[in-house]
Amino acid sequence: MKRIYLGEFEEIVLLTVAVLGDGAYGVSISDAIEEQTGRSASLSAVHAALHRLQEKSMLHSRMGEATAERGGRRKRLFTVTALGNRTLNEIRTVRNRMWDSISPQNFPAVSI
Amino acid sequence: MMKQPNPPHMADRLLKWFCAPHLLEEIQGDLHERFGQNVEAFGEKAARRKYYTSVIGFFRPFAIKRKKETYYSKPVNSTDMLRSYFKIAFRNLAKNKVYASINIVGLAIGLAAAMLILLYTKDEISYDQFHAQNPNIYRIVNRWTNPDGSLKNADGNTGSLPGPRFKDKIPEIEAFVRVRSDFRNIKMGTEIKSQELLYADAGFFSMFSFPLSAGNPATALQKPNSAVISEELAEKYFGTTDVLGKTLEMLEDGKPAPVLITGVSKKCPQNSTLKFDLLLPMQVSQEEIQNKENWFSFYLNTFVLVHPASDIAKVEAKMKQIYEADARDAIKLMLEKYDVKESAAYLLQPYTDIHLNTQYQASNGLSDASNPMFSYILTGISIFILLIACINFVNLTVSRSLKRAKEIGLRKVVGGDRSQLIFQFLGESFGLCFLAFALAVGLVNMILPTFNQLSNKALSFSYLLDIQLIIGYVAIFLVTSLMAGFYPAYILSGFDPVQTLYSRFTLSGKNYLQKGLLTLQFGLASFLIIATMTIYSQFNYLTNKELGYDDKNLVMVDKWRLSRNEARLFKNELLKNPDILGYAPKNGGGWGTVAKINGDTQINFSYETVDAEFLPMLKIPVIQGRNFSADFPGDSSQSVIVNESFVKKAGWKNPVGQDVRFFVGESDQVYKVIGVTKDYHYDALNQKIGSQLFTMKSQNEYGVSYIKIKPNTEQSSLAYIEKTFKKLFPVHSYSYRFKDVENLKNYESEAKWKQILLFGTLLTIFISCMGLFGLATLSAERRTKEIGIRKVLGASIGSIVQLLSTDFLKLVSFSLVVAFPLAYYATQQWLSNYPYQVPFNVWIFVLTAVATIGLVLLTVGYQSVRAALMNPVKTLKSE
Repeated sequence: MKRIYLGEFEEIVLLTVAVLGDGAYGVSISDAIEEQTGRSASLSAVHAALHRLQEKSMLHSRMGEATAERGGRRKRLFTVTALGNRTLNEIRTVRNRMWDSISPQNFPAVSI
Repeated sequence: MMKQPNPPHMADRLLKWFCAPHLLEEIQGDLHERFGQNVEAFGEKAARRKYYTSVIGFFRPFAIKRKKETYYSKPVNSTDMLRSYFKIAFRNLAKNKVYASINIVGLAIGLAAAMLILLYTKDEISYDQFHAQNPNIYRIVNRWTNPDGSLKNADGNTGSLPGPRFKDKIPEIEAFVRVRSDFRNIKMGTEIKSQELLYADAGFFSMFSFPLSAGNPATALQKPNSAVISEELAEKYFGTTDVLGKTLEMLEDGKPAPVLITGVSKKCPQNSTLKFDLLLPMQVSQEEIQNKENWFSFYLNTFVLVHPASDIAKVEAKMKQIYEADARDAIKLMLEKYDVKESAAYLLQPYTDIHLNTQYQASNGLSDASNPMFSYILTGISIFILLIACINFVNLTVSRSLKRAKEIGLRKVVGGDRSQLIFQFLGESFGLCFLAFALAVGLVNMILPTFNQLSNKALSFSYLLDIQLIIGYVAIFLVTSLMAGFYPAYILSGFDPVQTLYSRFTLSGKNYLQKGLLTLQFGLASFLIIATMTIYSQFNYLTNKELGYDDKNLVMVDKWRLSRNEARLFKNELLKNPDILGYAPKNGGGWGTVAKINGDTQINFSYETVDAEFLPMLKIPVIQGRNFSADFPGDSSQSVIVNESFVKKAGWKNPVGQDVRFFVGESDQVYKVIGVTKDYHYDALNQKIGSQLFTMKSQNEYGVSYIKIKPNTEQSSLAYIEKTFKKLFPVHSYSYRFKDVENLKNYESEAKWKQILLFGTLLTIFISCMGLFGLATLSAERRTKEIGIRKVLGASIGSIVQLLSTDFLKLVSFSLVVAFPLAYYATQQWLSNYPYQVPFNVWIFVLTAVATIGLVLLTVGYQSVRAALMNPVKTLKSE
């Protein structure tokens, strides 16, 4: 089976959506990324990544309620799909396995 | 409360412009939310700046790309819907066979007519286009202007001088070819045949692209006694086309002058003005070239090849200079000797212009000159027919569609959108049009032979496979389909489904468009009827008008240079046969000259050399004075007879005894008028009778013998004339013509046009009536219930017929009122081209009105009566 490839930024966005749960939409995701990773993520980059993830069927979206601070515009709310969930898990498993197979003498560079 | 700061308007506008609509809401929402945060964190100014950069950040493919419309745009292309359209269209056609056939056949006829005309006009324009040297071939023509600057005449012929003179002195002129037609006698076994041929300069085949099937085109005409013969003529004389190197026995002044065949040419294309069967090299002697007086003889066509990059106006200016310098002495001489005061200017006429030019005559080997008027008339008729057929289509489809309102309503209710309906109805119209087109191609194929005969053409169906024509037909097809289909498609699709499905909905309305189209249609038809009747009566007038002389049983026999002695001999021999009633010789061809009267006034006239028998034999009355007579021996050297027009032009009160002075050479010869004849049409009736003068002057040669025979003895008399001619003039070719047949030939083209016009008009009327019939059917159908109720309430059949017909009658009467003044104006304009016009006849208009209204009554009446006779129980039963 062809493994679905996720870019690093896509992975972070996907994880963020998972973290945020029900309240994941453009601004909140962008804010959360900045908070979690310390790096700023522009709205357009986030939207593009969301768009791609949705095309890869890792995200599901629906329109939310209208809110006043957006001039009555609705938010698009994202949730992680089963495929997204599995992909995240796979990535995590692969990473963990790789961490585990690093021998202790090769560790000096890493300080825990 | 402080006003909430807004994001920059410009940036929003930009976003709105590039961002895909389905993403705009969420993106703009996020941006606005972020803007609000930024205002609080960094202040309004920075927030605005950031807003701009964020908006520009969205300039990415995913945000720009528009979402494909996925919901229900497919049906237009889906096979299911197409199948439905076809099914409905076929059901509709099958249910209304009359309407369907009227639509298709009408359009087919219209299209076929338009196609034929397109073929015809294409052929007219294609004349002479096949020469590879076009457009650099020109003909030298000349214009003569009177001293007061007015145009005297325009002449397509030139003499032997202009060609070589202009070529020598004007570098832009690269080559010249002179062409002259003549008749020569050819011996075939023991027979002597008169054969028309052309003389041409050696460069003929390098200027014109006439292919040779044998022989070298560059050298074929270089030697004096050579000849190029057409395959057709070779077949006739030798029985084979393999004749290169053979000898053709020609006669010159009765003596053998054989020529060697150096080339065999293919048949000249049908659309060539230059046509030849036999081509001989033109020989012009050195003396002829030296003699400057030859600037004043015009008897051949000079064609020149002009360098492509040259300015024609400049070349013409140079020609003028050269002519005026070279011919100076000759011009002076002409002024002294013959009092020629007019001045000539030589001009260049593009070779391809000759065919449709009416100013410079096409003679001397050039034939088929055509009047562009015919092309215009034909094109007009075809446009009329096509227009009327399209009007039928539009009218019928609109009326028909009223019955389909429910279908449209239902289609809309189940989600059909307007573009789909337009697609459906345009598609139907295109389909019908295509059917009509196929039918039209078949029709053209069928009619073409008849059309060729009528229009004197050799068009073939393969002409249709020309790329330009195909484009033309496709254009006609598209325009017709769109014209016919667009309006109904547009109107129908605009119906409100709620209204159409509401059962009491009627779409009667005012129908201005339909009424307008019907009026236009019948206006056109009645206009054409009047035009045809006028043209018809004018042509009848031309062929039946009293000519002023008796052309019955009059045989004409040509003999070049018939001397007085020969004529006497011929006459004596002929009159031995009791069936031959009379004999009178006359000069051959039409001569014209100029003489002085009333002192120094010059007068132009037709110059007829006859004998004393001529006027009495042709029953031309002498109304004053007397005829020539043997009792007055001086008649041949002192007397002339003139016609009424001559007297009128001269302004004589007492014509008899007046002097006519001919200035030949240094001394004038004075003749006395001894009689005046009544005017008669010596020329075709489309020429005005001019001044005419008869003389017996013995220096003038006769060229043709008029022989009057007893009625119903044609066979024996002709045999006797031929026998006598061959006995007396053994080395001359014999041919005879009947004068009355020849007179009719003058109107051959008119007769053909008469037929084409009649044909066109009948077609127009037929198509119009077909359309009207369809409309009447539909209107009667639509009003079945109304008629039923009226009948139940006691209306008579007569009153119902009247009810149904009045609408149409009103419209048609109105169209007549509009068409009549226009038709009157147009026909009077056309008639003014003819010097002898049929008098204005009010009956033409009355007849047109009666015929049109009669036809309308007949067409509509049938339907009305049928509708009126229906049993009201049947029509009212179903709701």
